[in-house]
Amino acid sequence: MQNINLKNKKKSSLFANFVNNVIHKPSPEVQKNFMDVSLKIAGTIKKICEDEKLIINIPYQGKNFWNKGKNYESCFVDGGVFSSVESSSAPFAIRSKSYIVKPTNPLTDREKFEETIAYMGDLYDSKNNIYDLSEDPYEDNQLLNKKKDAARIIFEIACLVKHVFDKQKFDFCFLHGPLQTPVMPFSGPEFPQFKKQVVKNILPFLNFDKKEEKINERHFINIYFQSIQFLLNSKFPIYGIVERTNSSVYLKNLLFRSFKKGKVAENDYNKMLSTMIRYKINDGNLFSLILSDCQALRPLEVDKQIPTRGLGGFSEWETQITSFPKIHVGYLKTNSHQAPIRVESLKKSKDLIKDYEYILASSKLLPNYGFPAGLDVVDKAAKIPAWLGRAAKSYYSKYYLDLAIESKNSKNISSALKMLQGGRVWRNRPKAGKVKK
Amino acid sequence: MRKIINLNTNLKNSIGGNSIRKISDPWASIGTILGQTSIDDYSFHLKKFKAKKGDIVAAEAKQPTGDGRVVEVIVWGRIMEIISSNEFLPNEAAKELTEGNISIQDTILPLTKNDAICTVKNLGYTTNDPGQKLSLMPLNYPVYPGGAVKYPASKDLESLLNTDMKGKNPIFIGNLVARRDVDVQVSADNMVSRHVLVIGMTGSGKSVWVRRAVRELMVKQYPILIIDPHGDNLGIVQKATKLFPNHKIKLFYPKISASENNKEVIYTLIERLGNKLTEPQYDFLNWVLTKTDYEPGTSLIQYISILIQKSNAAAENKRNKSTKSSDGPGNTGASTMGVVSRSLRKVYSKLKEMEQSNISNRNKYPHLKFEELPDPYSQPEKIIQKSQVSILYLKGYESLPSSTIVSILLESLFNHRSAGNRTIPPFFTVLEEAQNFIPSKSEGQDGYPSVSTIKKIATEGRKFGTGLMLVSQRPYRLDETVCAQMNSYIILRLKNERDQRFVKNTMENWDNEEAKQLPNFANGQGIVSGQITNLPLTVQIKFDDDLTNDDIGDENFISDVQNWKESSENKKKRELSKDFDEVFDVDKRKPH
Ligand SMILES: Nc1ncnc2c1ncn2[C@@H]1O[C@H](COP(=O)(O)OP(=O)(O)O)[C@@H](O)[C@H]1O
Ligand SMILES: [Mg+2]
Repeated sequence: MQNINLKNKKKSSLFANFVNNVIHKPSPEVQKNFMDVSLKIAGTIKKICEDEKLIINIPYQGKNFWNKGKNYESCFVDGGVFSSVESSSAPFAIRSKSYIVKPTNPLTDREKFEETIAYMGDLYDSKNNIYDLSEDPYEDNQLLNKKKDAARIIFEIACLVKHVFDKQKFDFCFLHGPLQTPVMPFSGPEFPQFKKQVVKNILPFLNFDKKEEKINERHFINIYFQSIQFLLNSKFPIYGIVERTNSSVYLKNLLFRSFKKGKVAENDYNKMLSTMIRYKINDGNLFSLILSDCQALRPLEVDKQIPTRGLGGFSEWETQITSFPKIHVGYLKTNSHQAPIRVESLKKSKDLIKDYEYILASSKLLPNYGFPAGLDVVDKAAKIPAWLGRAAKSYYSKYYLDLAIESKNSKNISSALKMLQGGRVWRNRPKAGKVKK
Repeated sequence: MRKIINLNTNLKNSIGGNSIRKISDPWASIGTILGQTSIDDYSFHLKKFKAKKGDIVAAEAKQPTGDGRVVEVIVWGRIMEIISSNEFLPNEAAKELTEGNISIQDTILPLTKNDAICTVKNLGYTTNDPGQKLSLMPLNYPVYPGGAVKYPASKDLESLLNTDMKGKNPIFIGNLVARRDVDVQVSADNMVSRHVLVIGMTGSGKSVWVRRAVRELMVKQYPILIIDPHGDNLGIVQKATKLFPNHKIKLFYPKISASENNKEVIYTLIERLGNKLTEPQYDFLNWVLTKTDYEPGTSLIQYISILIQKSNAAAENKRNKSTKSSDGPGNTGASTMGVVSRSLRKVYSKLKEMEQSNISNRNKYPHLKFEELPDPYSQPEKIIQKSQVSILYLKGYESLPSSTIVSILLESLFNHRSAGNRTIPPFFTVLEEAQNFIPSKSEGQDGYPSVSTIKKIATEGRKFGTGLMLVSQRPYRLDETVCAQMNSYIILRLKNERDQRFVKNTMENWDNEEAKQLPNFANGQGIVSGQITNLPLTVQIKFDDDLTNDDIGDENFISDVQNWKESSENKKKRELSKDFDEVFDVDKRKPH
């Protein structure tokens, strides 16, 4: 316990926020109790980390670092989605961008902003859809959001895939976000497949033309799985960097490892887990208390995909879900007042200190934000600004109107007009099947 | 799969259509018009370094015409502001680079992502017919977002700026500040028939501009009168004489005189320069004035000395109990008369003093020939003549007498012109230090005789060919009604808040953005606007280095001191004072 400097921690705004966020309107006793518990857990976990030699100091030398850092070529990847304000109104645009920079190159060749892949269309419509839909389902927002998420995740991973596929040579490659997302939520029977055209276009290594297609081959879970497998071929390190997290995957795995090694009693292990749940302790808030600026936790190899039993028994996806590769998860504290960032990689890094030093230095360029500057850049670049989104929407709507007018079908025309006016009622959706291109 | 990357071009085609004709192929495309446009202005995204503040740019657009057609036009506008931003460079990153002494080049931060957004104020449009002359018309429809912005070729821009100048006697005044290769001309016809206000702080380039304008008018043999209170224009005399051997360049010093019908002027002068008088004293002054004939054009100083004699005589008579009715109104006492006489003596000595000061100033230029100003009533042609420049050197005279002198001179010349008897040709008057002659009412200087004269010339001068150029470094101290009659402006550097406000209040179509540049102008840079030009322009005035003031250059105290030769008397004095000191040293009797 004595290792945790409560005085300093109490001052940090992060700690205050964290206390405020976890407990609504905490009374002084509740607050104090929460603090006591957090600090006790932190003290214990710190001991475990130290025992396992997991805490490492990452050197940061500012100017001196960039003297060598400028020689590396790095690629930063992020995706951007635009969908109309009303979450159920579908025309939308999506893209992934790469920001590729090698500081020592001449200015004309120093930095590239690549729009690696982009798409605009309709999440619903069967004709011009990203997914393969035969029917007009009464979709709820939850499913719609899942579809948007899945689309974004696939577009981002596809961007990484493309760089590996094109045999590009980077010193580092970073994704804004996790390298692996639990896929269980997408395993429901109603979740549609991606359209063949889409998959073919964005994931060139998946050649569906040559072979017989299996059932659900274009389903999110499968192509995500295939993509991640493909990324294992990468000749350069790929990291996913996550800025905020409610995950407790590291903590749980850490405890589980110690329990398996016999360093933690089963009883204690179980009690600790339930305390952590009761107090909503997660990796982010706990490691803020343990790590100091420029300290990191060595990555643990963890399993992100844990199939849970749904209402109708194990999903048909169980086998594939369990065969997702394990992933390496570490944390890096990039400044004194923010939670550490999560660093994920598919493979064990060849030179952990070198890689973390690069991530730390990149984050130190944004001393307050504490997140790699290159990812901040690509995040801004990939964002689809409202004007572009709107332009995309009206362009898309106009395209429909043209088709409708061509079809000379008054019903189509009126529904296309409605769409142009912005509001969109599912019943008025044009029967796109009848419209010829 | 459609890529959104292509979207822009598609949109452009659907809005602009294929029918948009290129203005002129060599014009470089420098940017794209942004989202929202209006009749007055628009903004556009600028290709890096392709244009700068103050530049005149062109946009392709369409305008609906009165007869229901839509025509393709070129919309001309001026870049008022450029905002450059790099959304990829957060402030905290910049701070870190500074504090860590890190060069941005070495980091992963992007260098190429600066966006420059320009705000353009529309000037008007011209039709897009190559054959047609370029004359600007007011916009009635905004340019369309997404349209291209072009950088007009210098020669095209030049012909736009100088359209219609032919036949209006164009004179070259300088170049656009933003584009030095574009010549700017103004119409000499409009300059001499109307009125120009030239303002700018000291050292901003007013006199340089005056020289430019005067020189061009000299080429055209136009008669010029320069009222020069400080002698700013003396320096050019010798060089101008060499450059224009067939011209007469005359230097005059004033003779204070008045016309018969202008005794009021004399009265004002006495009233203002003399002591404050009581009612009976004024009555007596009036009496003396009416009783004493003044020969128009003769020296006023002499006249005043006659007045003094008369009032002294009257007082003398009063004291001698002589009661001739002609010695004063009613029962004016001798002491009243004495007071008036004393006041007149004061006026007399003040005028004498100023005359003397003017003489000694003139003596500083032994190489220049000064003549007494001829009587403008009887000999106006000696002042105003084809191929003559007359400079009236007023140094030494206070502002009221100066105002009187100028009022009498201009009034008389104007009368000759308005009488239409062709005694003198049209002429152009340059009035330096105009705030001394047309002080604003708020200056508490009302009753200056030159105010009403200049006001009259400003309002009616156009008919009679008596154009004015008023030059001042303190515009806010100028009479508002006179300023309102000015229809062309040369506005040089102005740092004073009140002067800047004056400019905003006086000029129509004045933009805050334009006002912002006033304090930052370099010497000889200014806005030229009004009837002498087609468009308000920011111009670098041409500097006529062959007409520089070498006689009275800028003050150069340092070299003055370095070349300082001590007078022999001074030297001796110091030498001797040492000797004296030695004497005093040995003097034992000096008191302690
Ligand atoms: N158009 C010009 N080009 C170059 N230099 C100029 C120009 N106008 C003024 N200057 C410089 O500024 C100095 C002061 O200009 P001047 O006309 O005497 O100022 P003002 O009459 O406004 O007090 C000049 O001596 C000259 O050196
Ligand atoms: Mg001057």
